[in-house]
Amino acid sequence: MSHGQDNPLAHPEVQMANNRSYVTGFIVASLLMAAATVLVSGHLLPPFALLLAITGCAGLAIIAQVYFLLHMDLSEHSIWNTVALIMFIPLFVITIGLTWWMFSQLYLRTMPMIPGMPGMH
Amino acid sequence: MNSAAEKVDPEKVVLWAGGHEGHDVISTRTFGFWLYILSDGMLFATLFAAYGVLSYTHSYYTGPTPAQFVAPWYTFIQTMALFLSVLAYGFSMTALKHGNRAGVINGLLAASVLGVVFLGLDIHDVLRLFGVHITPRTSGGLSAFYVLTQVHAAHIFFGLIWMLVMIYQVMRKEFTEEVIGRLISLRMFWQFQAVMWVFIYVFVYLWGYMS
Repeated sequence: MSHGQDNPLAHPEVQMANNRSYVTGFIVASLLMAAATVLVSGHLLPPFALLLAITGCAGLAIIAQVYFLLHMDLSEHSIWNTVALIMFIPLFVITIGLTWWMFSQLYLRTMPMIPGMPGMH
Repeated sequence: MNSAAEKVDPEKVVLWAGGHEGHDVISTRTFGFWLYILSDGMLFATLFAAYGVLSYTHSYYTGPTPAQFVAPWYTFIQTMALFLSVLAYGFSMTALKHGNRAGVINGLLAASVLGVVFLGLDIHDVLRLFGVHITPRTSGGLSAFYVLTQVHAAHIFFGLIWMLVMIYQVMRKEFTEEVIGRLISLRMFWQFQAVMWVFIYVFVYLWGYMS
């Protein structure tokens, strides 16, 4: 990760800025968010298909932002940022997933029916 | 070799090969700050987990749910304000690449104005909900909803303050390693807020609206 230029503007971290890449990331993410909004606000799909569709939109939008905006790639300069991100993803998923799973099982076994409520989910 | 330990002078010892290739300040800072940003992502993970376990029907205790108060197109405009702000910041970084000081300042100004628009829309939305007595005290589900969305808004707020500081520094200082390092750190911070917003918009606002 050493480059040793005298002019800090010549540093690869500065030189990797690229308008075309930023505009591409913006357009892709915006179109996906617009598509998700149209699908949800019009209730255009049955609930489970709708959830899958907007999850797909979110996943693709995040990949586009991470690649086109945050410059995560396999180049010599960015590889360690990418490795840190890849190692971060399981932590993020496990933290949310295990907590959610734990509580959903707990609710299933312990939550009494409250009068006047439509019930569990 | 065997007398090396005796000769160490704490005043003069060098901890790494100082003159070897030069210490790459920008790369080191950028990687360090990226690790900080990922830790910030873990903060969001805990809040997503809290929202996940507090968004069951019983979590709202017969009170209002996001399905009743979320306005998808309103929040979509917020999304666009944030994405455009990130885009403007990107243009500022391309101007930096060419050493164009005015371009950097214009990009940062545009990014701040759009960030203020995002924050203004968020505050307006919160006040609208407070006006109809939908507050964090209403139910556990709403507490989790407010904490998650407003922690993100707080990130935007502090990012905006940082952006004002950077506009001042770009106007008053040269493009030194330090100033450039801060601009790059803020770029990653700002773009990461847009990534987290995609999760919040889709899984809190949109999913909440359709549930």
